[in-house]
Amino acid sequence: MILPEAGEPVIVQNITGKFGRLHTKLMLEYGTNVAAGATPGKGGESVEGVPVFSTVAEAVASSGSRTSVLFVPAEFALAAGEEALDAGIKLLVVITEHIPVRDTLRLLDLSARKGASVIGPNCPGLIVPSRKMKLGIMPATSYRPGNVALFSRSGTLMYEIANQLSLNGFGQTAAIGLGGDPVTCTTMGECLDFAERMPDTEAVVVVGEIGGDAEERLARHISESSNAKSIVAYIAGRHAPKEKKMGHAGAIIYGNYGTAESKISALRSAGVRVAMTPAEVPILLRQATG
Amino acid sequence: MKLFEYQAKELFRQYGLPLPNSVLVASKSELESSVSRLRFPVVLKSQVLAGGRGKAGGVIVAKDRQEAHDAFVKIMGLAIGGERPSSVLVEEAFPHEKELYLSVALDRGERAFVVIAAAAGGVEVESLAGKVVRKIPLVGISERLAKEVASSAGLSGEQASQVVSIIVDLERLAREKECELAEVNPLAVGKDGTVVPLDGKVIVDDNALFRHPEFAKLHPEDEFEGEASRQGFAFVRLDGDIGVVGNGAGLVLSTLDLVGDAGGKPACFLDLGGGAQQDRIEAALRLVNRLPGVERILVNIFGGITRTTDVAQGIRTVLSEGAVKPVFARISGVEESEARRILEGTRVRTFQDAPSAVEAVVGQN
Repeated sequence: MILPEAGEPVIVQNITGKFGRLHTKLMLEYGTNVAAGATPGKGGESVEGVPVFSTVAEAVASSGSRTSVLFVPAEFALAAGEEALDAGIKLLVVITEHIPVRDTLRLLDLSARKGASVIGPNCPGLIVPSRKMKLGIMPATSYRPGNVALFSRSGTLMYEIANQLSLNGFGQTAAIGLGGDPVTCTTMGECLDFAERMPDTEAVVVVGEIGGDAEERLARHISESSNAKSIVAYIAGRHAPKEKKMGHAGAIIYGNYGTAESKISALRSAGVRVAMTPAEVPILLRQATG
Repeated sequence: MKLFEYQAKELFRQYGLPLPNSVLVASKSELESSVSRLRFPVVLKSQVLAGGRGKAGGVIVAKDRQEAHDAFVKIMGLAIGGERPSSVLVEEAFPHEKELYLSVALDRGERAFVVIAAAAGGVEVESLAGKVVRKIPLVGISERLAKEVASSAGLSGEQASQVVSIIVDLERLAREKECELAEVNPLAVGKDGTVVPLDGKVIVDDNALFRHPEFAKLHPEDEFEGEASRQGFAFVRLDGDIGVVGNGAGLVLSTLDLVGDAGGKPACFLDLGGGAQQDRIEAALRLVNRLPGVERILVNIFGGITRTTDVAQGIRTVLSEGAVKPVFARISGVEESEARRILEGTRVRTFQDAPSAVEAVVGQN
């Protein structure tokens, strides 16, 4: 995964939809260079002064962008994602919720063959405060430039915890929303490796939740790699019932698979400090980095 | 969406899997009129979605009409995990010597569908010994891979070839019907060597339902869950007395934890979704307010794209409509002080942080 440099152009897919319009405006206000948009059949229009093209290829040719933020409805999201990767997009941020998991697997497969990275789906996107780069829907007010890399399966918990970090003097190098679906196109392990390579990152905060084994895999990854950064985690869902989808398609426990206890104990065994509440995250972070 | 066993088996039948003869009955008269089509002994099975059906007494073998009648009455009156069946599947018993396990499942960590087979069935997949797990290519399983799976699971000869054909059919079902799980457990091997699925579990990808109108309305839904889903809320009913409402699945999940840690019991999980506006918070409060068992309502809002002032106005509007349970609102984020000002002088108690709101709402016991 390569994050765009400050000022680098990005495009928005389905820029003419309600959310596309709203968040194009908010991304521009934050300082992100939204240089073009794409919506089939809407070529020639403009949104917030940003030119709209009917195809991603035209938007890419006009703007020189390698990054796209996708707001296309679930039914058409796979086709739109494939169009973006075929047009040379190297970082695709999929905000869309409710994409069928088999479509996500196809998108993941294509991105691997194209050497591209996909963030999401069903995620708030990512933000790099020092570069004024906001690729998604997170409220900008929660974030400050700093030295903590934050990644999260949940959107609102990412905002809440970023806010607590910012209030306690821990700004962020980057905050990445991995997404609340059963399959995420970027894994926690990949995010950790990415954070390791960011020279200005001093510590990592991971926000997980019930369902699947992403956190257990991260724990294994930490134990097997020579990780140098301090890591603090928070896992939501200790009191969640089994076999119920808790809002996110991926937040569901089956039997003993996907429980918060399993994740917390795996992470603790790997040396990660695990907070019991969002408010405890900055406290543990201070201990870890102090 | 998890299907009932009889629905899963209808799919199995459509996809060519062999099955014992069976009838689905919802009343004594239906049982009387259709059980004669079956050869005794028969097995009566409660059609509930809850797990642990066998242990709970929801599966009974009957060797004649009278026993079948008694078993039917018993099963229809038995709630399993709080769930009462609306029908019973009556199936010809299949005497067998051996049970196998077979499933096609999404492996979230591997980010692929896998086929899982084992030469011992009847137990949960987690506790299966010697299971064979193979990733399935996006285009589907090949006969060659299915053969390799069967032989690695220790099967050979005629038995292996029947299992191979079941694997191929089950995988096609899971792929075409977009199932997260299509499981046959146990897959029984009869005395004559025939291989027959005895129980089936199918979970369809909810997000793919728009491509599968055939699954629409397969489940009778709870009144409140139905309304929540029409409103576009993520909603789960729980059995406590504190209605929990918030913006964002993770935030609400974390609120349940705070409530649970403080010794409280949530009555529901309700996620308003991102960017919720005034009408949405109003609809959510009205819904939670009339949910049976709710005595107090906890609202946890972290405003960003969601405007906290919209939330406050929404709460105010609903309060003005009359009998509303006590509301405890944590409102934080953009324009939070203005939002709290909107609620000044109302019966709502407002808080800046979630732990104090939770302490207050739980302490009201």
